[in-house]
Amino acid sequence: MNPVLLSMKNISKSFPGVKALSNVDLELKHGEVLALVGENGAGKSTMMKILNGIYTKDEGEILLEGKEVNIENINQAQELGISIIHQELNLMRDLTVAENIFIGREPRSAFNFFLKDRELNKKTADLFKRLNIELDPHTKVADLTIAKQQMVEIAKALSFNSKIIIMDEPTTALTETEIDSLFVTIESLRADGVGVIYISHRMDELKRITDRITVMRDGTYIDTLVTKDTEMSKIIQLMVGRQVYIESKPTSINENQETILRLENVSTKDHLKNVSFELKKGEILGFAGLMGAGRTEVARAIFGADKIESGSIFLNDQEVKIKSPKQAVEMGIGYVSEDRKHLGLLIDMDVKTNMAMATIKNFTKGNFVVSQKEMEKVAEKYVDELKIKTPSVHQKIRNLSGGNQQKVVIAKWLLRNCDILIFDEPTRGIDVGAKGEIYKLIDELADSGMAVIMISSELPEVLRMSHRVIVMSEGRITGELTSAEATQEKIMEYATAVN
Amino acid sequence: MKKIGLLSGILATSLLFAACSDDGAEGAGEIEEGKPYVAVVSKGFQHQFWQAVKKGAEEAAEEFDVSITFEGPESESQVDKQIEMLQAALDKKPDAIGFAALDSKAASPLLSEADGKDIPIIAFDSGVDSEIPLATASTDNRAAAALAADKMAEAIGEEGKIALIVHDQTSVTGTDRRDGFKEQIESKYPNIEIVDIQYGAGDHLKSTDAAKAVMQAHPDLKGIFGSNEGSAIGVVNAVNELNKKGKITIIGFDSGKQQLDAIKDGVMTGAVTQNPVGIGYETVKAAVEALDGKELDKVIDTGFYWYDKNNIDDEEIQAAVYQ
Amino acid sequence: MNIDTVVNEEKKKLGNSRIPSGAIQQILAFASLIALIIFFSLASGSFLQYSNIIGILLSTAVIGILALGATFVIITGGIDLSVGTVMTLSSVMIGVIVVDGGMPIWVGIVGGILTGALCGLLSGFAIAKLNIPPFIATLAMMMIAKGLALVISSAAPIYFSDHPSFTKISLGSITPGIEVPNAILIFFIMAIIGGIILSKTILGRYNFAIGSNEEATKLSGVNVNFWKMSIYTLAGAFTGVAGVLMAARLNSAQPALGQGYELEAIAAVVIGGTSLSGGKGTIVGTVIGALIMSVLTNGLRIMSIPQEWQTVVVGLVIILAVYADTLRKKD
Repeated sequence: MNPVLLSMKNISKSFPGVKALSNVDLELKHGEVLALVGENGAGKSTMMKILNGIYTKDEGEILLEGKEVNIENINQAQELGISIIHQELNLMRDLTVAENIFIGREPRSAFNFFLKDRELNKKTADLFKRLNIELDPHTKVADLTIAKQQMVEIAKALSFNSKIIIMDEPTTALTETEIDSLFVTIESLRADGVGVIYISHRMDELKRITDRITVMRDGTYIDTLVTKDTEMSKIIQLMVGRQVYIESKPTSINENQETILRLENVSTKDHLKNVSFELKKGEILGFAGLMGAGRTEVARAIFGADKIESGSIFLNDQEVKIKSPKQAVEMGIGYVSEDRKHLGLLIDMDVKTNMAMATIKNFTKGNFVVSQKEMEKVAEKYVDELKIKTPSVHQKIRNLSGGNQQKVVIAKWLLRNCDILIFDEPTRGIDVGAKGEIYKLIDELADSGMAVIMISSELPEVLRMSHRVIVMSEGRITGELTSAEATQEKIMEYATAVN
Repeated sequence: MKKIGLLSGILATSLLFAACSDDGAEGAGEIEEGKPYVAVVSKGFQHQFWQAVKKGAEEAAEEFDVSITFEGPESESQVDKQIEMLQAALDKKPDAIGFAALDSKAASPLLSEADGKDIPIIAFDSGVDSEIPLATASTDNRAAAALAADKMAEAIGEEGKIALIVHDQTSVTGTDRRDGFKEQIESKYPNIEIVDIQYGAGDHLKSTDAAKAVMQAHPDLKGIFGSNEGSAIGVVNAVNELNKKGKITIIGFDSGKQQLDAIKDGVMTGAVTQNPVGIGYETVKAAVEALDGKELDKVIDTGFYWYDKNNIDDEEIQAAVYQ
Repeated sequence: MNIDTVVNEEKKKLGNSRIPSGAIQQILAFASLIALIIFFSLASGSFLQYSNIIGILLSTAVIGILALGATFVIITGGIDLSVGTVMTLSSVMIGVIVVDGGMPIWVGIVGGILTGALCGLLSGFAIAKLNIPPFIATLAMMMIAKGLALVISSAAPIYFSDHPSFTKISLGSITPGIEVPNAILIFFIMAIIGGIILSKTILGRYNFAIGSNEEATKLSGVNVNFWKMSIYTLAGAFTGVAGVLMAARLNSAQPALGQGYELEAIAAVVIGGTSLSGGKGTIVGTVIGALIMSVLTNGLRIMSIPQEWQTVVVGLVIILAVYADTLRKKD
């Protein structure tokens, strides 16, 4: 086995009021890819920020190749050969590729003040040649795809001759082929003896690329397992510390359920072309397709946010004209947006206010004075029913996890007595354990007779949840599959169909 | 915590500085025990004109042995600030108040309050539109501007094109001087045409550029009237920069070193000056007389003067102009 | 399997065909400037005369140099509201040094520029080290500078009548053959210096980096606080130069002037295509923006458009310019 490259022992870190880490251990060997997993808030990022000098540890020691090191700032970490590739890419979008890679280390001339950009670009080109990366050093980062931006980050890390590279969720924005080429890069790093700490929620990737998996939970160290000897369900269990909802769907709903929503040849100006489908009570209708296929636009058309050019919408067999979201809501249609933080929640207000916000009139006396007590009572009921993890209904939304925030949004719509609820990417940014709870909640809503439209880019999610799947491409419906027929391959076939 | 300490230190030092400087910007007089106290609230503070009014007020205070304070808002649009100053002055329980209202109606509740407490009020400059003030010490701006118009007509031979650079299109002094000048020209000099009126906010630089543009647009322009110090200096700068000295007649208003120099150099024909020192002086004097129970004239005309190369060194003019 | 695969492939194709960002706005601004010039030339015969062109350039100099300094600050994503009154403080400082202190003129000029730089440094310190938002920090500096200008001048203008050579800094001419006032020359020299600093030096590079993504710049090990302070100091020095030109042109230091100039400078910067959200901007753009402002003012005056409407038109132009910028960003 390879010698140990890095070991972090008994690391503890507190922030005012919170113990973020207590006695966490981590060991990385030369040429190893070590996965670091845990739910959001488990302390992975804090751990990595300590390693990278962004935070300083309260207790514990860091040994680099057997020698104790003190990492006080980022520059020091870089000098020691530790680089991090952040999940939220840390690039200066308005600067070029070369300028980004050598930021802080620009070749300079007179007075150490003037730049030597020709040399900068040449150095970058040389680096790319060495790493086999095909990128123009002169391109502005803003003009690159996310995947290429990621390559820039990796190239930057490697330009330091790093011994340790931390990758925080590197594949969230990457395509299959890009992930493949990232893994090729990681393999070559491994061959060079570089240690990689790989943070990800994606179990299939961990299986493919990592040697060992270290699990963290609630700021503590749980276990380290050898990847090839470990079942992934075991890892998930260790991460969440409880049984995860993985039961699969009943295959179909009762055929006799009445149709609640019907679209006939709906077209909008820019996006939709002759979209027709039916939605039954108690049904979960999955919408799959590539980004930009028109799924969200269907939701927007139903919700009255986009104007319909031709075609009709029928609600309970009655033709309706929905001109605004306000009207849609009055007709019993709810929309849980994919962008929770901007469109769904008031992030700095508390749980009860957020729940009551859309129905505030019901909580007022004489339509004006808001009754806090009434709001509390109702909010507590939903916190209980939806199992929202919050110390109280007075907690600010900001302090809740992504999954619990999503539940608050759902509660808000439940308060409005919706008949139809549209979910747009319901589990985006939510960790594995909480995803299961959201799935369970959506199932329960459907069982109680609510009609659900679920737009999702994650195929496993679509397959697991939907009674039927509608696939879109370029604004048209290109296929419809029952849950028995639906497979990832079939969906992709329809999704990439042109006309 | 260290930074807070540092900041507090800086603040304390600057307060100390401010307190020690007798003639610092806001160190405008102080209340002395035993003497009658007259609070003067003016329309401005940092401009030369108001400094001259302040000077006159201080002279009177010295002469009649009263103590005064003199303050005013930063610009003539800050009606609210002036009201606050008047309120603060009232709270200091003065024996009399000198007041030049930016907005008479806004000030009327406070004036009534003062009247109720039997505090005599003397209005000055553009005055106060109310029955309460016992007297008003002011310049007749329209008449003064009409005099400027006569002088302009005389200088250009009662015919040709002229233009105005005015400091403000909303304030009373701005509109009075503009209209006084305009009406005089229109009624008495049919052969003179006012081709343009531009506003430079009394800002020297903006007035310069405005005057230059006017001169560009009207190459046959014979004269320009600048309605206050900044406007007049702007016109002088414009004429100098375009090398039109002697070709354009400049009539100014108010004074200040640069106007005086321009008149001496012959760039500017002459200017009308109010008597700002007189305004300040008469205001405080009237306040003292009111306290002594004397009858006051309702209007105290503090006068205005025409001055040019010939009379600029006269004692009467030298007393009215400021450097 | 992730479904975004094909989309990203699509994006890649699109990525290559994009026109380099920034260029369009500048071309647009330049085209607007030309259009304005053509319009005013047709509307009035006096517009295109040599002396009027010189007049326009001269009236651009002060605001233009303020705008050059403001460009640096705005590219960081910050704002500087103090440039107007700091300029006044600088010009008053020259008066105090030269007239009251009896020192040589060059000492006064250096003192004036340093005063501007010092004010910028203080703003930068408040922003970088005390974490005060730029809007607030420079608002405070605006008031401090305004007050100090009145204090050190005893609220009276200071005249340079006894130093006749001083006004030559703005209005003299050293160009052989044709008479171009020095202020115009200085404006263009400052623009060239600004352009070099912005595109060829480490300060310019970090200027864009901070405006583009301050956090990322910090995480790259760049001493962001130091560079921010440097940038505000540099902008302050530019403001000081504007103060010199202002005092020289008026042959006096007017302590009550200057407020409101900062907004005109910001407007020029924005019209020139610099984004208030930071990361984007050019010196050339700012020069064009400042020229648009003064061409517009001069042209409208020459056409004898009432002052009230002049202001309305300038306001509309700002809206148009920024709207064009947002349109570009959408594409």
